Amino acid sequence: MNVISDIAAPQVDLELRGIAKNFGDFVALEHVDLSIERGEFVAIMGPSGCGKTTLLRIVAGLESMSSGQLLLRGQDISALPVHKRSTRLVWQNFALFPHLNVRQNIAFGLTLGRHDKAAVKAKVDEIAELVQLGQFLDRRVSQLSGGQKQRVGIARALVTEPEILLLDEPLSALDAHLRIRMQSEMKRLQQRLGLSFLYVTHNQSEAFSMADRVVVMNKGRIEQYGPPEEIYTRPRTHFVAEFVGSNNIFDGKVVDMQDGLIRVQCADAIISAAAGERPPGKGSTVSLVVQADKVRSSPIGMPGENMLGAVLSGREFTGSQVIYYLETASGGEVKMVAQEPFSQTGRAAINMAMQLYWSPADTVVLRPNIVPGVENMPGRHSYVALGT
Amino acid sequence: MASAIHPSDPLAADGRGWRLAGRLYMAVGYFFLVLPIATMIVFSFQKGQFASIPGQGWTFQWYGKLFDDGTLLAALLNSLIVSPLAATGACVLGFLAAYSIHRFRFWGRGAFSVLLVLPVLIPPLILGVAFLGLLSRIGLQGQLSSVILTHMVVITAPAMAVIQLRLGQMPSSLEEAAWDLGATQFQTLYKVVLPFALPGIAGGWLLAFTFSFDEFIIAWFVSGFEQTLPVAVYAYIVGSVDPSLNAVGSIVFALSMLSLIGVELLLFPILLSQYRSGDD
Amino acid sequence: MVAADVPQSIPTGVPEAAATAGLNSLKAVGIGVPLLYSLTFFAAPLVFLVVLGFWLVEDFQVVPALSLDNYLDIAEHMFAKSNYALAIAQSLWVALTTAFFAVLVCYPMVLAIVYVAPRSRHRLLLMLAVAPFWSSYVLRLFSWQILLANKGIVNSGLAWAGFENLQFKLLYTQIATRIGLIHYLAPILIVVLYVTVANIDRHLIQAARDLGATRWQAFRRVILPMSRTGLLVSTSFAAIVSFGDVLSGALLGGGAGASVLGSVPLFSNMIMSEYASSTNLPRTAALAMILVLVMVLMLAGGAALAERTKVDAG
Repeated sequence: MNVISDIAAPQVDLELRGIAKNFGDFVALEHVDLSIERGEFVAIMGPSGCGKTTLLRIVAGLESMSSGQLLLRGQDISALPVHKRSTRLVWQNFALFPHLNVRQNIAFGLTLGRHDKAAVKAKVDEIAELVQLGQFLDRRVSQLSGGQKQRVGIARALVTEPEILLLDEPLSALDAHLRIRMQSEMKRLQQRLGLSFLYVTHNQSEAFSMADRVVVMNKGRIEQYGPPEEIYTRPRTHFVAEFVGSNNIFDGKVVDMQDGLIRVQCADAIISAAAGERPPGKGSTVSLVVQADKVRSSPIGMPGENMLGAVLSGREFTGSQVIYYLETASGGEVKMVAQEPFSQTGRAAINMAMQLYWSPADTVVLRPNIVPGVENMPGRHSYVALGT
Repeated sequence: MASAIHPSDPLAADGRGWRLAGRLYMAVGYFFLVLPIATMIVFSFQKGQFASIPGQGWTFQWYGKLFDDGTLLAALLNSLIVSPLAATGACVLGFLAAYSIHRFRFWGRGAFSVLLVLPVLIPPLILGVAFLGLLSRIGLQGQLSSVILTHMVVITAPAMAVIQLRLGQMPSSLEEAAWDLGATQFQTLYKVVLPFALPGIAGGWLLAFTFSFDEFIIAWFVSGFEQTLPVAVYAYIVGSVDPSLNAVGSIVFALSMLSLIGVELLLFPILLSQYRSGDD
Repeated sequence: MVAADVPQSIPTGVPEAAATAGLNSLKAVGIGVPLLYSLTFFAAPLVFLVVLGFWLVEDFQVVPALSLDNYLDIAEHMFAKSNYALAIAQSLWVALTTAFFAVLVCYPMVLAIVYVAPRSRHRLLLMLAVAPFWSSYVLRLFSWQILLANKGIVNSGLAWAGFENLQFKLLYTQIATRIGLIHYLAPILIVVLYVTVANIDRHLIQAARDLGATRWQAFRRVILPMSRTGLLVSTSFAAIVSFGDVLSGALLGGGAGASVLGSVPLFSNMIMSEYASSTNLPRTAALAMILVLVMVLMLAGGAALAERTKVDAG
């Protein structure tokens, strides 16, 4: 470990300050703050229309912002036109120049100004080796496979030595098998270069497997920003809890609080959860989140565990795991994920009654929190997690 | 009586009669289309001054006469100066306009494209009178350049239409990718947009060339003594019956077959199929 | 007192500049050059045409004036001497019937290409159909002349084959004019109609057939209604072109070709021949303005008619 870098404050590559974007009346981005450290792989994840691509295009300079400030390695680049920014974009549809071959595509950014031909050739050869395109340099881009095309897209951006690489769903045009291979390849490349990646995707597993930190966006706002593990196990908002993984969400009212646990009256049971540092008051409305893979079914639970009775209504075998769908007495749905087919009673039969157990420590508390700017919209409230 | 079986192709099987009628009709139709051209070629090699059946023997005399006389050849030469230049000018204007409409949002964008398309909707007879009216006031009538300038007005629209179709096939990300890699607007235009639009420009050029090469009434008004081929041919026909015209027609047709091959290669892919840009 | 017009909001962020820097000069050239050209060589002559109609010729010189003489003189000759009204009627009659027959001939041709010929042949068939367009119009008319002449190829061929009673006199009638025009229009109409008909989803026809429609019913109820726009566009295009054309009327119609209206020249031919003999440009301009007026009225009438049939059909 390098001691000095541990002591020094981490260098920030990209900083977004209060970025907002309106298209007419439509608010695409609403005051987004974000900072990315040098060499960090940050994934922006969210449903389509959440503003993630707009944000990326603003950073690239392809879209103007309504207000806000962009800092790249401490320099304000807000007013720089797209072609003067040292950010580079990798495109979902590759956007390779069809009239140029692979070598000319990669060299494009190097040959715009005055340049030394031999140096350009050397650089292109080097980068082509890095992305394993060495033997394809003289091919036409239409002769390449999807994976090769995207390698050209990446090489074309990297060869110009950008200060940050922006990737707009770069793997979504590839088939599932290839996508997974490219994921690990890309992660290794990023680590080897020590270059910051800002990676937009709607694919959760892609974001979680590659990113150091994940941004979850919804309706033009950042819902949560943190390491993948935290996003997964400790969703901060209702939206994140629903968007990420397979979570069960229970709404209810706090009835009492003791020994660091709050007890919440939900539709079918009283559920306990860790109270955290700023516990909600008695009588307040909260939502509880528990991941589907934290829920177990067994005849007897451990002491202090939450318990819920439900009837099996369906099951889905996905290969590595089985997802069980159960219905509670009040009609709510509960999901349970087991790593292997339900073994206690052999194959679980539909309509079988079951006892579900999980620990209060695995139960995350969200409290309704009025979102700034949407107070006057009835029925629209989001949940922000308490505690950690 | 509807048949009980409905084949997957609704126009197969039980429609023998219809299909036969269709084939027959097509044959008659193509015969009508080809007839005058075939006549032209065959009778350019026939001896008699007044074409009739049966023929009066084969000869090259009309081609010889054509080269001896010279008026029609001079006109052909004039046309071969006017039309390429006019087509090139039209492509420059057409590309600029098509790119502006494709790329920019500006006030009066709709009116702008209507203004550029409008000349093809106005009878050329009226344009001919109007062009002559203005050109004669500024002393520009009766020259080859007056034909070039006025033809450009009429043939910009078809050239622009083809270029627009081609630009429409260009993903917007292509230009953005070039900007992102550090290219300025002009570099992007030169290094990315123009190469991409090239088939459209070439197709538009051919179309514009053809329109100009065949245009009669505007040239009749503005060309004065610098006749283009159609104007000279017209004067010839009105004056006499001369199978030399068949010889000219055959030469023109042979020339145009060349451009037709160009059309097959350049224009049809753009007009009829989803031209794949090769980038996705 | 606080000035009300002081901007309240703090200017924040970056305007469009970031994304569009460098575009402005390109935009200026891209829009400016074609616009300037169009205004100078297209709009200006048209405007000047209107003005020119009020000018006069004195001592063989065009002189600026603000005179209605040209129009008054034309009005005087509407039903006398030159008989402009008859010529206009002849033009309208020939243009409308030509447009009708041209579409009537080309539409089945397109139906045959689309529904009878295999798909792989379409391109070749279209190429063949547009081939005549790439040969000179004037020369094609000359070819029609020697084909249709009284002792021309067709008639002499008929006599040679022993069908002397089938010989006809077509040249220098407006029927010959129409033949020339239809041959000129056919390639364009076939392409326009092909685009229309080929874009009709075949599944719709299959669905109609599956529901028990006969071939004829499928055509009547599906194909024809869906071709409506294409048919209207091509008919009006054909009418405009025919109305403004001078060549076929001059070369095949012989200047004053016979029709049911009598041996009357087309209005367009009249304009051309009057200019050729008098070189009176202001008067020609006035006649051209009348042609424009009639054409606009014809189009408006056509549009009204199309609107009515649409209401009837709906």
